Amino acid sequence: MENGEDSGSVSRRELLRMIGATAGATAMYQAMSSLGLAAESPYEGPIDLQGAPRGASVLILGAGMAGLTAAYELRNAGYKVQVLEYNARAGGRNWTLRGGDRYTELGGQTQQCEFDKDLYINPGPWRIPYHHHGMMHYTKLLKIPLEPFFQVNYNAYLHSSGAFGGKPQRFREVKADYQGHVAELLAKATRQNSLDAAVTKEDQEKLLESLRHWGALDSDYSYVSSDASSDRRGYEKKPGGGLSARPIPSKPIALHDILDSGLWSGVANGDTFDMQTALFQPAGGMGRIGEAFGKELGPLIRYNAKVTDIRQDDHGVSVTFTDVQNSGAPQSARADWCLCTIPLPILAQIPMNVGQSMASAISAVPYAAAIKAGLQFKRRFWEQDENIFGGITYTDLPIMNIGYPNTGFQSGGKGVLLGAYMWGLRAMEFTAMTPPERVQKVVDYGSQIHPQYRQEFENGVAVAWHRVPFTMGCFGQWTTATRAKHYDDLCQIDGRIALAGEHASFIGGWQEGAVTSALDAIGRLHQRAVAQGERA
Amino acid sequence: MRGVALSAALLLFMLGAYADSPMFTSRATLGSLNGEQIYEHICQGCHMPGGQGAVGAGSYPKLAANKKLASWAYVALTVLDGRNGMPPFGYPAARGMNSGPAHLSDAQIADVVNYVRSHFGNAYKAKVTPEEIQALPHPAAELMGPQ
Repeated sequence: MENGEDSGSVSRRELLRMIGATAGATAMYQAMSSLGLAAESPYEGPIDLQGAPRGASVLILGAGMAGLTAAYELRNAGYKVQVLEYNARAGGRNWTLRGGDRYTELGGQTQQCEFDKDLYINPGPWRIPYHHHGMMHYTKLLKIPLEPFFQVNYNAYLHSSGAFGGKPQRFREVKADYQGHVAELLAKATRQNSLDAAVTKEDQEKLLESLRHWGALDSDYSYVSSDASSDRRGYEKKPGGGLSARPIPSKPIALHDILDSGLWSGVANGDTFDMQTALFQPAGGMGRIGEAFGKELGPLIRYNAKVTDIRQDDHGVSVTFTDVQNSGAPQSARADWCLCTIPLPILAQIPMNVGQSMASAISAVPYAAAIKAGLQFKRRFWEQDENIFGGITYTDLPIMNIGYPNTGFQSGGKGVLLGAYMWGLRAMEFTAMTPPERVQKVVDYGSQIHPQYRQEFENGVAVAWHRVPFTMGCFGQWTTATRAKHYDDLCQIDGRIALAGEHASFIGGWQEGAVTSALDAIGRLHQRAVAQGERA
Repeated sequence: MRGVALSAALLLFMLGAYADSPMFTSRATLGSLNGEQIYEHICQGCHMPGGQGAVGAGSYPKLAANKKLASWAYVALTVLDGRNGMPPFGYPAARGMNSGPAHLSDAQIADVVNYVRSHFGNAYKAKVTPEEIQALPHPAAELMGPQ
């Protein structure tokens, strides 16, 4: 059956539809992740802000990646910089929860992170693609050690709860078999002269050879159980040494079963531009970046400051804030210019005298729901029992992803994995639960993929981004239409106020969007400041 | 402060306690929910159980005893279009995927509007109908993602 009855009867139209499905999978993944465009980061190297007017000052609201980047560069350029930050730490969504940390979400529920020492979860961003040049620049500058992030692990799973009896399939097998079957079909169509109109005779020969190579086909252009296909999908019995050396090839999954399961949709997960090797993670957690920036900027950052009013006049910008920890009288800060990186759902509620076009843009962007859960287990069973070292399992269960730690391989003791990374409707529903309910559901669903959960689970945390007090959502969800209507208005400087953050970028939901938007905004603010000279 | 220290023992207890709790995690089942269920599974993620709202760097409006709820149209338009970062729920039923905007029917929007206007200390008697919701402007399909 490995040669599949189905494959013999596939029409050309079906074939083309199926090939189209590969591109469709990529498109679907992008839509699902809502992380958007495969756009090269516009970062072009360190920003040049020469000629800052003497004594000129900038007030920066928010100490996330955008605000920190701006503060660092403006300070170095000679501006007088002050940063107001709501949290008691720098980083914003650049954040790591470690054992001993406490986190209180909107609504007042506090989670105590009980992970062992050195174990952590990144509730926000967790990976940095190599081509996010701005992030790469600042991690290098701040001497943050980077580790590889395995976006694709061939031995992790693709899982469909309604297929293969609910048994997860190895990514390696699904990819090899999908590719092999598609190659066989295309070879068949080529040899039946179905492609004569589209491909020259000479190219057909080359195409056939390439399909054999790409799909691990046999001499007859069939995708069958063989050394060639097993070299892709893995063996029934692996080659070894000595008397027990002889390998036994494995049997491919039938094309129909792959199509029917929907698992083909996971094959291209590492093919989108943002997910292509190499990707990195900071050793010790993504939050190391914000922490390092915080240390670098020291007293320039005023923590626990909740901004309540932003008012500009002809000479500068005044910001009123209260201290969240000691709710005393409102205080104020003033500077010539203001870079505001406050997430839009919060900014939309803060009185600020900007023009109608910027005000409309600020209220026009809904923020995405997203959940991340970290689970601590007594042992690293995914490595010990299943040989999964880092990477991601994808499932159609509400948890959507299981992320295995990309560090600490084969270490004894406990391990923490990302038990869920979900978005859309499912994230909304999990947000509506209490934190313990979320963790319980994540364990419950995850045990369908890893039955060891039941025995090995110890404790967990679950961060729902709509309940995060300092963002009220995960990231700005633009559409083509809302971008056309509002994006430029959001990014234009209004008098003495400019906005920055991932919401003011085309790399939405990524830290690189925050960094590049901050650099773009302070570049323009700098031009204005220089033009005004010391009159400012 | 309510510390949540989730132990394995507590979890075992909870597995029993929550085994029957209804989950809707697909568009297929979303369509069958009434106003109360929609509130408990979606709205309270931000507006909190009991419509209590929440305050952080910004705030989620308290729906409990909220005078703005006197206008059913204000509430309905907020659900349809979203407001200040709140996701819209009035987009047309979408493409069968579990991402992107979640769709609620006019009848469901009427039901959830009536639910919040008659609970949490709100006692507005007049019920809005699906037809009245239908007559309001809905966000256009082309405004839907992806970007």
